[in-house]
Amino acid sequence: MRRIIIGGAALAAVAVLAAAAYGAAGSSRSVTLTLWHNYGTGGNAVATKNLVAAFQKQNPDIKINVVSQPGGNYFQLLQAAWIAHTAPDLSVQWTGLFDTKYEKQLLNLKQYFTPAELAKINGAKWSSSNFNPAQGLLVMPLENQFYMGFYNKALFKKAGVTSVPTNWTQLFAACTKLKNAGITPIVYGADPQAIGPSPYPYYDLSYIASGLFSPAQLKGLYTGSTPWTAPALVKAVSNWASMPKKGCTNSDVLTKTNILGAFMKGQAAMIVDGNWDTATLREAMGAKVAPFLPPFTDHPQHGVVQYSGDGFAVSKQSSHQKEAVQFLRFLMSPTAQHIIAAAGLIPDIRGYSATNPLANQMLAFAKSGKIAYPMIDNVIQGDVVTTGMKQLDAALGGNISAEAALKSMKQTHDALPAEQRGPVYH
Amino acid sequence: MSALEWVERQRGDVWRRRTGRALTYLVLFAVTAIMLYPFWLMGQMSFRSLPQYYLGKGFSLTTWHDLFAALPIGREMLNSTLITLCSIAVILAVSTTGGYALGTLRYRLSSLVFLIVVCSMMVPMQSMIIPEYINLARLGFINHYYGAIAVYSALGAPFATFLMTTYFRRLPEDVIEAALIDGLGYGSVFFRIMLPLAVPAIATVAVLQFIQIWDDLLVGLLFLQTPAHRTITVGLETIPAQHFQNFPMEMAGSLVSALPAVVVFLVFQRYLIRGLTMGMSK
Amino acid sequence: MTVQEAAAELPNARRRARRSPLAAQRQRMGILFTLPVAALIGSLLLIPIGQTFYYSFTNWDGFTSQWIGFAAYRHLFNTPEFVTVLENNAVMVLAIPIAVALPLGVAFLLNTHIRGWRFFRSVFFLPTAVSWVVIAFVARRFFDPDKQGVLRSLLDHTGLGFWHPDLLGHEHSALLAVMITFVWSVFGTNMIIFLAGMSTIDQEIYDAAKVDGAGSFTVLVRITFPLLKRFVSFAFIISLITAFSALFSLIIVMTNGGPGYGSTTLEFFIYEKAFTESNFGVGATAGVVLFVLVFAVSMPLLRLLRSDD
Repeated sequence: MRRIIIGGAALAAVAVLAAAAYGAAGSSRSVTLTLWHNYGTGGNAVATKNLVAAFQKQNPDIKINVVSQPGGNYFQLLQAAWIAHTAPDLSVQWTGLFDTKYEKQLLNLKQYFTPAELAKINGAKWSSSNFNPAQGLLVMPLENQFYMGFYNKALFKKAGVTSVPTNWTQLFAACTKLKNAGITPIVYGADPQAIGPSPYPYYDLSYIASGLFSPAQLKGLYTGSTPWTAPALVKAVSNWASMPKKGCTNSDVLTKTNILGAFMKGQAAMIVDGNWDTATLREAMGAKVAPFLPPFTDHPQHGVVQYSGDGFAVSKQSSHQKEAVQFLRFLMSPTAQHIIAAAGLIPDIRGYSATNPLANQMLAFAKSGKIAYPMIDNVIQGDVVTTGMKQLDAALGGNISAEAALKSMKQTHDALPAEQRGPVYH
Repeated sequence: MSALEWVERQRGDVWRRRTGRALTYLVLFAVTAIMLYPFWLMGQMSFRSLPQYYLGKGFSLTTWHDLFAALPIGREMLNSTLITLCSIAVILAVSTTGGYALGTLRYRLSSLVFLIVVCSMMVPMQSMIIPEYINLARLGFINHYYGAIAVYSALGAPFATFLMTTYFRRLPEDVIEAALIDGLGYGSVFFRIMLPLAVPAIATVAVLQFIQIWDDLLVGLLFLQTPAHRTITVGLETIPAQHFQNFPMEMAGSLVSALPAVVVFLVFQRYLIRGLTMGMSK
Repeated sequence: MTVQEAAAELPNARRRARRSPLAAQRQRMGILFTLPVAALIGSLLLIPIGQTFYYSFTNWDGFTSQWIGFAAYRHLFNTPEFVTVLENNAVMVLAIPIAVALPLGVAFLLNTHIRGWRFFRSVFFLPTAVSWVVIAFVARRFFDPDKQGVLRSLLDHTGLGFWHPDLLGHEHSALLAVMITFVWSVFGTNMIIFLAGMSTIDQEIYDAAKVDGAGSFTVLVRITFPLLKRFVSFAFIISLITAFSALFSLIIVMTNGGPGYGSTTLEFFIYEKAFTESNFGVGATAGVVLFVLVFAVSMPLLRLLRSDD
């Protein structure tokens, strides 16, 4: 009899303990997500860290492990991780064709975001399937970016350049004045930003394209209905490649190192770059530096390359998709946008502004009626981008003609399999 | 020959020797400058802050402070050390035995085996690393030290075995024959005689493989995807981003990463000397 | 067999009897000692190499593959860049003799044990410890045609300033810059290999030569070099393999394969196809071509190695 009572009590005790344990576990049922980024040590990395901290504070039962992965080889690493099923829940992706490339691995966010919410995102279409938000967002952009020209107001004044050039003719006229004053008009060289050497020709090509096509017409370059060897394009790129010969640039366009330093020290009057150096430029040059739209056009430049180039996506292999999407939604909140602006980035949700006056000047272009263009290297096929990088540089360096460079790009384009040139963006 | 002529000849000899030596030193010092330039550059750049780097002058410790704040340098150096030392241990074990078999014993099939060993070096790593990765991922080797060690050992073994075989072939047969007559088996010959004689080659392999494994990026990146296991070389790659290359920090990091290899070499060169001065004294 | 013949046979028989067990033991030990390296290379190297051969006939993208047979090779050779790439590799071969001869010469100098030789040996080896990224960065500074470029200032100071080489800016000279950097960077490795090889040479031979009155140059040519033949072959093969399959990190930071395809070697091409464009099938095909190339060039050298002194 006593044994039965003791046994029963023991069982009851175990039951109570188990219930308590289950209850405790239930309330601390926390989810851990992994997030990979390739942001290095700059502003984006700081923003990511702060965003994750703020998100975890708002959602105590979701923890995010932030892993900084090497920038070079980042996408190769992601692919390898997807192959081996060790991929992270959240990962940084570049937008445009860089994310449609991995569409099979990324979670389509159509069911999670309403069209009204998507309308608040600048350039949502470039991070969506087939560049159509209705077909589902793939990447939640982190920031707004620009390809932009910067000029030194003081040097312009010194050389007698009274207005910022807005087309080829005015540009070459300004170059002559600057050259006569002993100043390098535009400085080109080994891109301080990119991991490799040599200039990155797509800042310039984006602005060349904006003078010839509307944003929708850029699709023609993708499908091939507008060949890379179109006469108007050849003429414009020839003009661009002739700049060194006309004395519009330094002579060692392909190999000069530390061009940002040259611009900051006042050796050159103009530089074509992006928004990522605005803090450095502002700090070094104060009010002397201002943004301008590279005038690689016959008619006055009407486009501004304003584009959200990177953001976060959820992997289809993630076992915590709902929680991962919660983080993406958090990115659109006011808290998140203020964190992004505080880190020196340009917010991508409509209605928010940046903290750097230079950045706000760049945002003003679109507000004053300039048309927003995507970064062209995000909307043409990767193989063509690779070919163009080599050949366009070679043209700028005077090794080959602009026409030969564009012909190579066309050859690469024509050699692509049909589904990579088809009506649907892949 | 008169006494005068003899003195003249001696003076001529001395003069010739002196110019020879002067020229030698000139060449050696010129090469020294060329070799040390990168270190000087790394040092100079790492002691500038980022704005100072752009402007081309200045001195600051900010970069060094930022480097240690941004990366877990100590942990990553430890990982690198552990992985590299274990891989070298495996490589040495495998290449000394292999070199002995292929270089000294030279049994019937050894030429074929030697050919296969050498050929396995000729396929570029980029082509076959993905199949390797997939195979090892299926076996669960990813994100473990032993996965990286296995791959590094396999990648370094052919070169090491090749060098050992070349080296062992140059060692004289009579020492071995004497030992065999004394009644030692081939196994004992290896441990008691050949290994001690092979110390210079072992030191060479150790130093060269150390640097190759320490500086490797692709294998470390693919097989050790988490920061806890990360090596310093992969860790340094997390400094630059797409649009922002922190040159001073990269230089500082590279300097830190280069130090162990330098230390290893300075330590091991004593063993290289031993072989050179000892010659083949029996 | 007659008794006389049998009697004559006896020493041979005894020799045979004494030789066979030893020979058998030699054979057994040989196989035993080969097992470790065979197991390691067999499982972790030969299998993926075999898979690479298989994938070279497909259009594998890492996830799915489709067999296309020899068309893969035909398609590769029809790619216009591929011919340029092969040409670049052919030119790279010219750098190998220099990459071997220079360290050999310096190793000889150091072997004479002049004062301070240990210091020089350490210093010459130091660049081997520097990562390729830093070497590439330094090289770009060196070849910068601007006033800040090291080569330019050297030429200016020695009065050759009129010649403005812009090696990295032109398609046909960028490869030369890469080759120069390559020779510089393998200097230490080859030097160490030769020094290790020289350690196998009996000091008594040198002493005997000196007694005979041989000058240092004669010693070099008549004694050291023939004895080092194996190591020269070895350095040649290793330098070739390095030039063809280990320069990727150098090229990507120094020139990114450009201008155009001027400094794109086959190895760089493989990386671009396989990793940047996820075209692993083409990467495998090109990898097989690279293997065949290296093998073809190394074969005569390997045979030299196997000839007994």
